[in-house]
Order: sequence, then C-alpha cells, then structure tokens
Amino acid sequence: MLAIQLAITGLQTGALYALTAVGFSLIFGSTRIFHFAHGATFVIAAYFFYGVFGAGLGLLPSIAAAGLGAVAFGVLLDRLVYAPIQRHEGSFFTVFVASFGVGIVVQNLIGMVFGRGFVTVNTPLSRSVEMIPGVYVSPLAWIAILCTAIFLGALQFFLRRTHTGMALRALADNPELVRTFGLNPRMIAATAFAVGSVLVVPAAVITSATTGLNPAIGHHVMLISLAATIVGGIGSVSGTMLAGLLLGLAESLALLVVDSQWTEAVTFAILFAFIIIRPAGLLGRATAH
Amino acid sequence: MTRRFTLAGAIVSLACLAMPAVAEEHTIGAIFPLSGTNAVYGDVFMSGADLAVEHINADGVLSGPLSIAYEDSQALPQPAVVAMTKLVNVTGVPYTLSAFTGVSKAISTLATRNSVVGVNGGGVGPDLAELGDYFWNVIPLANLEMRAVVPFLVEERGLKSFALVYVDDPLGDAMHEELETILPEVGGELVDSFSVPTTAQQFSGVAAQVRASGADVVYVASYGNQQLQIVKQLRDNGVDAQLVAYSGYAVPDALALPESEGMIITGQGVDFDSEDAVTKRFVEDYTAKFDRAPTAYNVNYYNAVLVYGALAAAIEAEGGEVTGEALLEARRATESFDLVGGTVSFQDNGTLLFPIQVKEIRDGAAHALTSVTFD
Repeated sequence: MLAIQLAITGLQTGALYALTAVGFSLIFGSTRIFHFAHGATFVIAAYFFYGVFGAGLGLLPSIAAAGLGAVAFGVLLDRLVYAPIQRHEGSFFTVFVASFGVGIVVQNLIGMVFGRGFVTVNTPLSRSVEMIPGVYVSPLAWIAILCTAIFLGALQFFLRRTHTGMALRALADNPELVRTFGLNPRMIAATAFAVGSVLVVPAAVITSATTGLNPAIGHHVMLISLAATIVGGIGSVSGTMLAGLLLGLAESLALLVVDSQWTEAVTFAILFAFIIIRPAGLLGRATAH
Repeated sequence: MTRRFTLAGAIVSLACLAMPAVAEEHTIGAIFPLSGTNAVYGDVFMSGADLAVEHINADGVLSGPLSIAYEDSQALPQPAVVAMTKLVNVTGVPYTLSAFTGVSKAISTLATRNSVVGVNGGGVGPDLAELGDYFWNVIPLANLEMRAVVPFLVEERGLKSFALVYVDDPLGDAMHEELETILPEVGGELVDSFSVPTTAQQFSGVAAQVRASGADVVYVASYGNQQLQIVKQLRDNGVDAQLVAYSGYAVPDALALPESEGMIITGQGVDFDSEDAVTKRFVEDYTAKFDRAPTAYNVNYYNAVLVYGALAAAIEAEGGEVTGEALLEARRATESFDLVGGTVSFQDNGTLLFPIQVKEIRDGAAHALTSVTFD
C-alpha cells in the first residue's frame, strides 16, 4: 500500500514539476535565454493568487490575476531586460546574471509586500481522503494531474497545429530563417515568454494550497525546472514533460529504498546519470560539435 | 628639538590620563537571519533586542549610547562565520547575539579564539551548552523541553509510540539523540524517525510513511517555514496523530496555521502578568511599540541585551574596559540578574535555567497545560 501511496504522491508532484519545467524549457528552447527568473514568475503567480483570493474576490478572479501577473512579468522582462542586453551583444552569461538578479529582486519585493513567512491558501480540497485502505488522495492531487494533462495537451496542439506555435519551433531551429519568412523573432520570443509563463500558473495555484508559499520558493522551482529540462533533452517540450513526471515519481518512490533525507538528492543523481550516460536527455537530439 | 618633542608628548599623555572618563560608545553585534526562508525570525529577534537598547539608553545605564551592529546569517553557518569575522575584526565588538543551533556552533569557535562573548537566545540544540566559556545561552535548550513534554505525553496522555520528523542539521540530530535517550526512560518507544534536508519543501511522501508507522505522537523538530510545511502536509495527508513541537514553533505564522490546532508545544515559562518592574515595563512597552503581545523569543533577546547592560555597567563602575574577558569575569561574579521573567542565574555552563511550559495550541494561541521546573 505504501508503494501505491508514494506512486500517487509522486505523480502529483511530478505533474506540477512538469508544468513548471515545460514553461522554462519552452522559453529556453526557443529563445536560448537562460530565464533563471522563471522561478520568480512562479512566485509572482502564486502570491497574486494568494493575495486576490485572500481578499475574498473568488477563485476565478484570483486565477486570472495570477495568470496576468505571470504573463506580464515574463513578457515585460523579455522586452525591458533581455532584449536590450541582446541588442547590445550581451553574452549568454550577461543575460543569465540579469535574470538571476531579477529573481532576487522579485523575492525581496514579494517579501516586503506579503511578508517573508510561510503563507498558504486554506481549502478543504487539500485534505486527503482514504480511497482504499491505507491510500489517501486529496482532490487537489486529481486536479493537479488533470490540469497538467489539459495544459500540456493544449501546448502540444498549439505548437503543432497553429502558425504561431510552428513559428516558435522554427525560432528554436533557425532564427535567421524565421526573419527570411517575414516573421518577427522578437514577437515570437514574446509569445514564448507569455506561453511559458502561463504554464506555471496552475502549478503555482495548486502549490499555494498544498505545500504553501514563501518568497524563496522560486529557487526550488528553478532547480527542478533546470534538472527536468536537461533530463528531458534541451529544447524538447515532450521530453521535459516526461522528465518532470519522472523526477516527481523518483523523488517519492525513493522513500521505499533510501532514507527521507536523500530524496532530494535522487533528483540530482538522475540528472548526473543522464549527463554522463545520455547527455542529449530523454527525447533530445544528439548534437556533434 | 627631540628632547622638546619628548617633553611635549609626555605632557599630552599625562593630560590625557588626568582627564575625566569620557562617554564611551558601546556597540554589540547580532548575527540574525535577515534574509532567506528564516528571515521572519530575524524580525522577531530584533524587536526584543532593539527595545532593550532603547531602555538601556533611556535609563543611562552605560557611560555612552549602546547600539547593535546587525549582520545577516540567513540562518546558515557559512554566512554567519563571515559575519562574525567582520564583527570581531572590523567592528570590534566584545559581545554578539546569535540564533539558530548551526549558526551558534559555527561562530562559537571564533568567539572563543577572540575572547568575544556569543549569546544565543534562539537556538535550542542541547550541545549549545558545551561551546566553551565564551558562549552563553539565555534560552533553555531542547533537551529540557523534551524532558518536560515526553513524560507528560507518555504518563499523562498515555501516548507511548513516537515518530520523529527532524531536520538534517545539528539541531535535528541532537533532538533525535535526545528523544532516543528519553523515551525508554519513561516507557515510550521511538517507532520511526525521518530526517529531512534543510531545503526540503515537499513532505507528502514522508507523511505517508509517518502514517504507516502508526505512531501515537509525531514530534516535529525543524524550524522556520519548513516546520509549518511539515505540519500542514502531515495533516493534509491524513496523519491524525498528536503533533508535538519545541519552542521554535511558537511564532505567529505557526500558531495561526489551521493545521496547528490541537498541537502541543513547549517553551520557556515566562509569566507575562508578573508584577516585577522589569517584566512589566517590557510587556507594556513591547505591546505599545509593536502592537502585539511579546513571545519568548522577544524576551530572550531583550534579556540578552539587558545582561550586557548590567555587566558593562559593573565593569565601568570599577573603571575597567568592556572586553569579552571582562564580561565573562563580571558574569561569573554576578550571582543573579533581574530580567524579564524574574531573577535568574546562569549555570556554570553559561546557560540560564527557566521553567518549561507544556502548551496546547487552541484558537491560534498557545495555552499552558503544565509547567515543569528543573534543578
């Protein structure tokens, strides 16, 4: 029973990891910007939801506020920080440092506004109920899995069936060719930031009710996103999605064989294993330099 | 020419020695978490320490104004050592406040090596009592808290099987050892224990294991935001055993958490309704200034600064220089201190002894169930 319980718990965790990681992977894969502030996007979405919900404005306006906050942050960051740096031939490292700095600023601003302590959204949906003897599942676990399926399904449709989605994939492959076809790479990059930022919203909302929030939570989100992106294969949205699920499951099921203090290390053990054995990741394309 | 300069120098030196003592500015250090996930504690600690500074300066206890040089530890040992090095070598403080077990242990070596007094008012790891002459504690340590609550739960509540969720750091390790020692002595049993990394935020898997252990009591030995996340996720994941925590849980965020309802926590017994002048003034001024009732942490750092004020005043009265050595000597010569909570004395190991209260969280506040006094 413990194994089933841990598998369900891992699936819920993995679903949320997949959502956040796919957002980062999409942005990094299509723009090659190491968007370290993706963790800050998560924090903004979560605290916007917490703030609006706490003000008693209801669930849907709170989710809308989280979505608007996340998208506005992602798009404005691209427009006001990343684009000027890239215009001035800023290196990959310069962009990374800028993104890292923005993440710290956001963490401190959120701390000043909402306090630096632990906050959570109280809902009966986070309370587990016994499904079968010894196996407890909360309604939010099902919601997390369902949301992930819907959002990632919609993303696949968007990337494969819409012109903008195909342009995004093209930008990842060859930005010059995109220009040749009369498309504006900056606009496509803005779309990548908007879509990537939206993807963290369900994870941020659900996390606010399950594990709770603090302004520093973005670092953990970013670490998991980075690990899932590498394990899944850089640039592969599907691979990142699978890797997110794999890391969540592994982190939970590891409790069957290792002490609880090593569960976080399992994520990085998997990461190192992939770097050594399969550097291209689960579904990434091997490249030769 | 040379003789004339020598004579002038001698006259100036004599004049300086003959001048009356001038007001001396006093600066003490404080290494608190001011950023990161435990920054909420920094605000709590500072409020108590700052109020004591205000009172000491208003009363003219010392020959000159007292101030605190704050440094950020992030509740981590490595930044704390950097901060302590700066306070000792650059600021030149003789007395430094610290918090958190890992941080306190990390700075204690520098304190001893440089003869600077370190005073802990927040960490409760039992081994903090063994960090040498220059490291003092104005807080009862966790071994006392466990020795108060474990017999209460086993003997009075009939709860015999315990599970422990503890943070993987010196505090957690020490509490794990302590619980393993105490439980057999009182007829209880530690059925399972779960160590979690300091950075972990996801505990639903641990909750499943805790539930499977069938323990009557789950003791949570962590701190900061993590301990709240553990409690919330234990309850959310169907753990209905009695939850217990140490004094680190007595922060407003934790008490207000709905999942904390019914938890049992321990902490030093402070009678805030006491009529003694020091306690009364502290409670009135703290409540007026911060618009909230004080907690034990506020008391501890207020007391830590009061101790400095009393010792430094005694040294100045004898015409001595306020150094770490002099403060240690003065403390040993002082039988008792009038602090918030009453007149108390340091044990030989530099730790203040307070009674321990066992409390239950109801309606967002901790209510005393019993009080245990130790000799």
